[in-house]
Amino acid sequence: MQKEKIDDLLCRVEKPGQYLGSEINSVHKVVNDDTIRYCACFPDIYEIGMSHLGTQILYHLINTIENVFCERVFAPASDLEKLMREKKIALFALESRHALNNFDFLGFTLQYELSYTNILNMLDLAGVPIYSKDRSEKDPLVIVGGPCAYNCEPIADFVDIVILGEAEEIIVEVLETYKNHKKSGYSKQKFLEKIASFKGVYIPCLYEVDYFSNGKIEKVYSINEHAPSLVNKRIIADLENAFYPDKLIVPYVNIVHNRVMLEIFRGCSRGCRFCQAGMVYRPVREKSVDKLCELAGKLLASTGYEEISLSSLSSSDYSSLQELVSKLIENHEEDRVGISLPSLRLDNITFEIIKEIQKVRKTGLTFAPEAGSQRLRDVINKGITEEALIDAVRKAFELGWSTVKLYFMIGLPTESIEDVEAIRDLGFKVAAEYRKVDKEKRGKGLKVTLSVSTFIPKPFTPFQWEAQDDMNTTVEKQQLLKHLINHRSITYNYHDVKTSFLEGVFARGDRRLAKVIELAVKKGCKFDGWREHFDFEKWMSAFDECQIDPLFYMRQREYDEALPWDHIDIGVTKEFLRRENEKAKKEQITPDCREICSTCGIAAKYKGGDC
Amino acid sequence: MLRIRCRFSKKDDMVYVSHLDLVKFFGRAMRRANVPIAYSQGFNPHPIMSFATALGIGVASDAEYMDIQLDREIEAELFVKTVNDTLPKGLRILACKYIDKSEKSLMSIVARSVYAIEIELEKIMSKENIEKEIDGFLKQDEIIYRKERKKKNKGKRYKKIIEVDIRQSMCNIEVLSIAGKKVIIKMILAAGSENNLKPEVVITKLNEMTGVSIVEDSAKVARLELLKKHEKQYVSLMDVAK
Repeated sequence: MQKEKIDDLLCRVEKPGQYLGSEINSVHKVVNDDTIRYCACFPDIYEIGMSHLGTQILYHLINTIENVFCERVFAPASDLEKLMREKKIALFALESRHALNNFDFLGFTLQYELSYTNILNMLDLAGVPIYSKDRSEKDPLVIVGGPCAYNCEPIADFVDIVILGEAEEIIVEVLETYKNHKKSGYSKQKFLEKIASFKGVYIPCLYEVDYFSNGKIEKVYSINEHAPSLVNKRIIADLENAFYPDKLIVPYVNIVHNRVMLEIFRGCSRGCRFCQAGMVYRPVREKSVDKLCELAGKLLASTGYEEISLSSLSSSDYSSLQELVSKLIENHEEDRVGISLPSLRLDNITFEIIKEIQKVRKTGLTFAPEAGSQRLRDVINKGITEEALIDAVRKAFELGWSTVKLYFMIGLPTESIEDVEAIRDLGFKVAAEYRKVDKEKRGKGLKVTLSVSTFIPKPFTPFQWEAQDDMNTTVEKQQLLKHLINHRSITYNYHDVKTSFLEGVFARGDRRLAKVIELAVKKGCKFDGWREHFDFEKWMSAFDECQIDPLFYMRQREYDEALPWDHIDIGVTKEFLRRENEKAKKEQITPDCREICSTCGIAAKYKGGDC
Repeated sequence: MLRIRCRFSKKDDMVYVSHLDLVKFFGRAMRRANVPIAYSQGFNPHPIMSFATALGIGVASDAEYMDIQLDREIEAELFVKTVNDTLPKGLRILACKYIDKSEKSLMSIVARSVYAIEIELEKIMSKENIEKEIDGFLKQDEIIYRKERKKKNKGKRYKKIIEVDIRQSMCNIEVLSIAGKKVIIKMILAAGSENNLKPEVVITKLNEMTGVSIVEDSAKVARLELLKKHEKQYVSLMDVAK
């Protein structure tokens, strides 16, 4: 097996430390004829990919399986890619520097719709045919998972295996089955048929889609007796005892989240109606304080990190947060370990905790009211009142914070101009609150950032049927806010409208989009989530040449219209989503699942939840 | 206050790790090794370490130095062993020694750096001929290097070219060995905060000003030693009392 000769390239690229593959806690195994080779592929650059906890969990998990060697690869930065193409060096896995076409599995994680072009570009750079149907028995199997896998129809033709839900158990089952098939006359078709019936596995090539003449979907159906008509997601029932690595790879170069990441629970009981994660990761499952303290100790010792981040969808909903934080401080204060808590809701208890952990550092505080008006917050079921928010902000100012960031969305269903204007009003109220606080107490230099993104309806949410604002409407709202927010302490950020447009198309897209993606890649599209690379004109010409109208995917859907993802079952029923969408229109709140069960269907289908 | 001075090597893949990343790396390595390293005071405590010079990306070295401050004493041999156990291939503590708190910082005492540079010739030459060319090169009173400096003024970026005489920064150049087109050259160059010359610059000048034609980008640089001045002599940075 040829090792790619990359030393000469490393001297000529930026941050060569990211391509070495020998980082602390990376795994290196001897490769022989029997080794099953898996490459965890992240379709973005190293500093993004290495910040992704899921990849690190799977990497260490897969490497615990005997005779299976899991390596990593990331989308090479443009400078390296250019050199690789010049010197005809195939995309290689970091650990062994072997070209990816030597592998059994290429596992891509689907975190973001706009990374689809990078997947195709990476396959191309590896010399692997992009279409599943064009790959022979000798080519690697392309396996995908992650949040976008729930509707991966736009890239379904490129992938062989989709993992739906949490992978810790199913990936082992798939690899063990593969191992057995390899021993006795492997056939790709037979292997795919075998695993098609596993809970959590979706094999796109065993399904077909019929369309009406108006372009809408007539039905999605199984064409193989082994493929179930409805594919279920997989979850880990017992999170407490599920695999979690006791070491994490420590990069040589600085990355976005360069710290220990400790997952404290999965799922979210809040039920925000725009949030896909809140629906697809149900039910809520926590790890115990003891387990987390044990893991924290091992992870800090094996990595040498000076900071630990407690991660989840909504950290303050962890039932024993105060106890956990106190214990972690007690165990590691002497070693000067910092604790960070992303995704916090700022209520009273949380403030007590933050006071404790932020004794040293006062980084900015982030709030996510998501909508400016109470009416619209009720529509999206974001159970936060203006009073509570202002109260929290005042407390933060009194404790010495002066940098506050507020997240909002525009384009939410039922939104009026008044709702948009309310974003400005809330921002101004926050700034006014700062002035009310005693000068002695508050920090210097107020800085309020209003970060306004564009709402994109996502599959498996109550808003999956709703229309996405067209680009003109979005621009009008963005400009209105820009005009209204004229305050020296307030910064206003908004998202690029074209990027959101494309994300919206792929989020609710179907299989017909595959050829558009293929063509866009041929035209040179990649890193679409990066402003300096994004080329909207190329995308529009690709849609045009494929005779596909992207606006078709932005429109409102009727409840009885077949959706591209109807053959996927996340446990939460379509009936519940519909009910929630109707309640949204009536501005009715649905309480947190821990207060009263809203019968979303998950509890009936999956055991192990605390919801 | 306890200070420990270490000499370490940085080679193989580790040559691609930048100086700034290396500093961060050693901080974490000390934590993994459970070394009682001292931390700075303040809001953002960081481990107290200081280095002699920054090594350029791609340059290997057998002579990197750092001073580390410790909270309590541990046996020097144990220090070397426990730290080395946590280091990846390519990084290795070679020696260490407790030094007095009055000892001057590494950065302020470095004066000379010794390099071995492998180059590839465009055409085969004899050792004698190369040496003749080098002699002629070193006989000049002045060797001007035009240095590009990126500057910023009122937000505008521009490049300024300054001329530097590098002759006085070259202390010695000799041919170590020759095998076909591959030649290994040893250089002693000024190093440190007052005067610092990169070996790549000398290679460029040799190529430009002498009959030695060198294949572009072929130079592989390794640092052999860093020296300080002590009573008219140049000695190792490890050469300290106590």
